[in-house]
Amino acid sequence: MNAAALYQSALASLPEIVVVIGACMLLILGQVVRKKRHDLFVWVSIAVVLVAALFTLVPAGGAGPAYAGMFIADRFSVFFKLIFYLATLLTFLLSRKYADFEGIGSSEYYVLLLFALSGMMIMASATDLLSIYVGLELTVICTYVLTGFLRRERRSNEAALKYVILGAVSTGIFLYGVSLVYGLTGTTQLDAMGAAVTGDPVDPGLLLAVVFVIAGLVFKVGAVPFHMWLPDVYEGAPTTITAFMSVGPKAAGFAVILRVFLNPLVAESNAWIVVAVLAVVTMALGSFVALVQDNFKRLLAYSSIAHAGFALFGVVAGGTDGIASVMLYLLIYAFMNLGIFAAVIMMRNGTSSGEVIEDYAGFARPHPVLALLMLLYLFSLAGIPPTAGFFAKFYVLVALVARGHVLLAVVAVLLSAVAAYFYIRIVMLVYMREPKRAFEPALTPMVGAALAVTAAGTIGIGLFPAWFLRLAQQSVFGG
Amino acid sequence: MGLPLLSLIVFTPAVGAALLLLLRGDGAVRWTALGVTILDLALCIAMLAGFDTTTHAMQFVERHRWVPALGITFSLGVDGISALFVFLTALLGTVCVLASWAAIDRRVKAFMVSLLVMQALMLGVFCALDLFLFYVCWEAMLIPMYLIIGVWGGEGRVYAAFKFFLYTLAGSLVFLVGVIALYFQGGETFDIIALTAHNLPFAVQSWLFFAFLIAFAVKVPMVPVHTWLPDAHVQAPTAGSIILAGVLLKMGAYGFLRFSLPMLPEASLYYSTLMLALSALAIVYGGLLALAQDDLKKLVAYSSISHMGFVTLGIFALNLRGLQGGILQMFNHGVTTGALFLLVGLIYERTHTRSIADYGGLMKLAPVYTSFLALFTLSSMALPGTNSFVGELLVLSGGFAANLALGAVAVLGALLSAAYLLGMYGRVSLGPVSAAGLSKIRDVNAREMAAIVPLAIFVLWVGLYPKPFLSIIDASVRHLLVQVHGAGSGP
Repeated sequence: MNAAALYQSALASLPEIVVVIGACMLLILGQVVRKKRHDLFVWVSIAVVLVAALFTLVPAGGAGPAYAGMFIADRFSVFFKLIFYLATLLTFLLSRKYADFEGIGSSEYYVLLLFALSGMMIMASATDLLSIYVGLELTVICTYVLTGFLRRERRSNEAALKYVILGAVSTGIFLYGVSLVYGLTGTTQLDAMGAAVTGDPVDPGLLLAVVFVIAGLVFKVGAVPFHMWLPDVYEGAPTTITAFMSVGPKAAGFAVILRVFLNPLVAESNAWIVVAVLAVVTMALGSFVALVQDNFKRLLAYSSIAHAGFALFGVVAGGTDGIASVMLYLLIYAFMNLGIFAAVIMMRNGTSSGEVIEDYAGFARPHPVLALLMLLYLFSLAGIPPTAGFFAKFYVLVALVARGHVLLAVVAVLLSAVAAYFYIRIVMLVYMREPKRAFEPALTPMVGAALAVTAAGTIGIGLFPAWFLRLAQQSVFGG
Repeated sequence: MGLPLLSLIVFTPAVGAALLLLLRGDGAVRWTALGVTILDLALCIAMLAGFDTTTHAMQFVERHRWVPALGITFSLGVDGISALFVFLTALLGTVCVLASWAAIDRRVKAFMVSLLVMQALMLGVFCALDLFLFYVCWEAMLIPMYLIIGVWGGEGRVYAAFKFFLYTLAGSLVFLVGVIALYFQGGETFDIIALTAHNLPFAVQSWLFFAFLIAFAVKVPMVPVHTWLPDAHVQAPTAGSIILAGVLLKMGAYGFLRFSLPMLPEASLYYSTLMLALSALAIVYGGLLALAQDDLKKLVAYSSISHMGFVTLGIFALNLRGLQGGILQMFNHGVTTGALFLLVGLIYERTHTRSIADYGGLMKLAPVYTSFLALFTLSSMALPGTNSFVGELLVLSGGFAANLALGAVAVLGALLSAAYLLGMYGRVSLGPVSAAGLSKIRDVNAREMAAIVPLAIFVLWVGLYPKPFLSIIDASVRHLLVQVHGAGSGP
């Protein structure tokens, strides 16, 4: 690679470079500024993300392949990067007060979030199994540490350990799949792979390779049967990190899945049947197990499994609409899920952990506005119009039916009726019970801003989906 | 056409609800809510005044882009069938505010907001000319209704609210898949008029018919899927019961009229006997259940199942008189049963019991109240001179023409309704004053009168001179028949 090509490649990856440099600077800043300057860390982190967002929206380089075909800054990656920025910014806003409560004083917390962000951005832009691997590892290593950030809490330590071990195994499986692919096709580039195998689609070795790659990837989005880590990790991690992981790395995982699965290589191997089965089982497990949860974070963990299942239906559908439906789903999910997590984080105050669902009984009486926001997020997660959650599901169903998968669509809607039960059960507690104790939500201006942004997204996309739909459709690669 | 009348009708309650959020004080909230519903009612009357009864085409049509990429538009319009229910919704909306005036004494603002949002969505369902818009309004209604039942209801409100929510949701979701399938089969559009004009193969029609049937049958409700209704009705506050009985149940039947019949005519014809049988079953089974009730609200609730059976019987008779009767009976049932729930609510506010056994000799204590009760009871059992007589007569004559045996079964239901309604009236109003607690009872006051009298007027108006109502729906019904039976064969 000559200097000019390297320069072009660097320009294409300018947002990633900004985030990494920003994270390094924050790391140094954290050592220099010794006093408790949390506000400074938050604002610097937000500034870094905003600068990266600026370079993403006004690209300096071209949208062609960079770094010898390992990286691309196409519209598809831009769309996902916007989801990542949204998730990261909202996490920063929510973290400020929460960090005080949990005694998270160091700048490393923000640094690790920024590094995780850069990893997710690389995942979205990666067009080679190896660069996918680099992004994947960068993301998960940061989230391993963040999960265990509550050093004095056993739950947090246990979750981190579990996450590391299972995550390492899944990474090993993924790498093994990659090595098989390389052995069979002589390349790890997604496009070249597709071109190399069009001849013999039923090669058992190829099928094996695809299964390994799939297994490694669905681990990251928490699909059955690789979901075991998810409830424990979600419960043990600091709530802000749970919120972040349920949206950011999950969306990044789907970005990779879309790129890999809709590659001719996988399309040839009839992998969609595998994905369809995974989607049904994932959604069923998430929906049914969530019914019996008492812990809010655990419930949201199973809810996120169920939502991953629904989004996988969009992967099954494939085509422009299928891909766009997954993208739109993830964007909307980011708004509504961060919204409900903002409510949970806000309740972490004084003696209240905010995690016991029963503790929310009668919340509507003293705090009607906050309760209304919770109602909005919960009905959106349940997929009731006119919220955005309905349109997300609707579009996935449209994509499914367009491909003739009517039966899968019926299964999907019936399972989402099951899932609706546990969301409206929380609405019931909030609205239809008498309050048993005083509530003192930690409603700081930052949390308020996060609530406002998520509420605007949840109701705004629901009422006026046209612009977002077009954005998703235009961001589909190759379409 | 200058003024977007239907948009005004649909958005007036929604804007009113937003306005309520800014107000303080229960009194201001109540008066504003009343003002909003009366304004909405006035707009509906203006709409009816400008309504052209000679055409079956959609009137007051508005179209706006919404989601062009999927062919979704924001389109409103009314024909004869929907115009009647737009008016009924606005009328009952005003009645509901009056009925909740004193009955709702906590969280008044939230209640009135829910009520107005509900009204906006119900009007949206009846005015929608776009299937997506229809579905959004149809399903979004679950949210305010869930809250109305669950927050302001009776003892078992939480269970009832859950049951209502999940039943309706499960039905609607299958309908949603049907809607999407119809979208692709019908040329990638959600425009109801375009979809109606599209001819579908019979196999597709059959599948869609059952997908739609699940959603509509739950709402009506038809017999195997009716069990949410007694719980929801009994536990809901008075206004909730009025909305449920008056408008929500009509939506299922409206769905048959707007989608199943014109879009799936061959399937509707093919399965009409099944539908007639289910209707006859609902009539008799609902009547028998009503006969066994001691709770006033439960009795009216089960009688609703029976009376909605007449509606679906009329619709699936698929002839002129049956359809006319079915649609008129939808309107009548809304007025009469809405009024009965209102009356039960009024007496419950005073005595805090709904058990028939606790009452007796009410006529001596509250003569005005019992007179109204008599009127609406007689109307409910279809005495000549009242509204339901006209409707049921048309339904039965249509039903006999369609299927003699099932028509005969339906007549049995009419007899049953006389038995349980007269029995109820006798035990409540006649005889000696049973309990000491009743003696201090207060007759209806002016506000309650204002809620009841309009409904009483419609009972007698439709009963004595139904022509204006029949002429509103006439052109649309005839057109519907042509759509079902095909232009060639004729009705």
